[in-house]
Amino acid sequence: MKRTIVITLAALGAAAASAQQTGTPPHPGRLLASNCFQCHGTDGRGDGTFERLAGKSASEIYGELREMKAENKRGEIMTIHALGYTDAQLRSIADYFSKQKR
Amino acid sequence: MTNNRRQFISRLAAMLAAAGLPPAVLADDDDHESASSSGTTATSTAALPSTGLSGRVVVVGGGMAGASVAKFLRLWGGAGVQVTLVERAPRYTSNILSNLVLTDTVAMTSLAFDYGRLASTYGVKVVQGEAVGADPIARRLTVATASGLQVLDYDRLVVAPGIDFAWPAGLETPEARSLAPHAWQAGPQTLLLRDQIRAIPAGGTFVMTIPPTPYRCPPGPYERACVVADWLKRNRPGARVVVLDANAGITAERENFTRAFEVTHAGVITYVPNAPVTSVDTATRTVHTAMGPFRGDALNVIPTNVGPRLLADIGVGNAARGFAGVDVLSYESTAMGGIHVIGDASATTQPKAGHIGNQEGKVCADAILRLLGGNLPDPSPVTNSSCYSPITLSTASWLTAVFAYDPATGTMKTVPGASGEALAASKDHYEDMFVWFRTLMRDTFA
Repeated sequence: MKRTIVITLAALGAAAASAQQTGTPPHPGRLLASNCFQCHGTDGRGDGTFERLAGKSASEIYGELREMKAENKRGEIMTIHALGYTDAQLRSIADYFSKQKR
Repeated sequence: MTNNRRQFISRLAAMLAAAGLPPAVLADDDDHESASSSGTTATSTAALPSTGLSGRVVVVGGGMAGASVAKFLRLWGGAGVQVTLVERAPRYTSNILSNLVLTDTVAMTSLAFDYGRLASTYGVKVVQGEAVGADPIARRLTVATASGLQVLDYDRLVVAPGIDFAWPAGLETPEARSLAPHAWQAGPQTLLLRDQIRAIPAGGTFVMTIPPTPYRCPPGPYERACVVADWLKRNRPGARVVVLDANAGITAERENFTRAFEVTHAGVITYVPNAPVTSVDTATRTVHTAMGPFRGDALNVIPTNVGPRLLADIGVGNAARGFAGVDVLSYESTAMGGIHVIGDASATTQPKAGHIGNQEGKVCADAILRLLGGNLPDPSPVTNSSCYSPITLSTASWLTAVFAYDPATGTMKTVPGASGEALAASKDHYEDMFVWFRTLMRDTFA
């Protein structure tokens, strides 16, 4: 059943765009990381934003997020955000920002 | 739907006749990058990626969600994805921070954002005009502009028209409405309400109403009560704020607003829950509610929020109060293929607010690009809603929530443990509020 739906949707998408499976696949963390852009700037860049994330090492970003999650301090806005993602998602977000130009 | 479509098209004919516009329909120029007769010239200067994707997307509405989807379709989709943004106004006025215009804390001009950067940096074609006709089968939108009609062909249409109002008895006419401004769409309304608040005498009363959920910006009305109370304390000794809430209790950021009402602004704010508006008498400046009549020197009636008529006109206003039902993996309408609805106009489990409207724009852009490439939308999107609210004219609090897709219900659900509010209002949060605002606006419009 599920397989049928997937095939139908894919066929519709392809028909609408007269294209099939084109495009370079985006970084898997891009859409997740875009949740951070509102406060940290598009792609983690920008002046006068909260902490600049573009070009920081993935292990540093992931380490900070993981620590916030572990400490679980009440009333910390970033703790709440960190708790919203699985560890795999946090790794993916950290990897995305590490690959952006400073 | 058929009936609505008929009305939409007959209104189009009436509009044309009234405007004295030529009956001939202007075709959209094929060369996307060339200047149109009425649109802003789109010259791309950003290094857009080469993705191999191509397609035409038309976005109606240049608010937080509409501007975001336009930007990210180009930033992520590259030059082959043609994006046209249709917006009536030359610039957007931010609802966020607009309560601080009421208190003269923030200048109206600092809330204005135009579409120049979307055009010059990302190559979004901006057409100033109003959608007046749509053919969802042929995938074609008709837009009335100052120089005539333009027909825009699309592969995907995104609509982000925000909210409209269901007016209570007594507010049928523009004259009556000007005596009880909502100021819930920032702009002239905000200045009108500011002037009426200024006219409140010492010892006077400001009466404001909060509509039933869902409405735009859940914490916004409580925030307004707080900052107006603080302004009155400083400038109109003895004046009071009466908050008439249609809901059974404070609908957002309950701890901070309860403390604000009961402690910070005790004796100034009177909070009345379960008080939906039944009618408004502007002659006697009285709001009649289920909890009785309330007279004020200035009235601020925020009516029940409904989906704008455009949604019904194009056949996507299929949820409660005329909002649009959508599949939150792509924001595609559940009533009409090829049409996506984002921001406050969509009916989801997420709040109607600017920060999350921006994120819905990104999820929608990502999904449309995947669909254009013959792929399926991301099966597990995450969104977040964050907001800083001033509690006084020098302190603020915040609330935030992370939402993840729940395949069992097909809805966005708050992630357990990942929602909450500030422990207390503070000066630090007040400073952070402006950092948040500047960055959010840049992420949306620049």
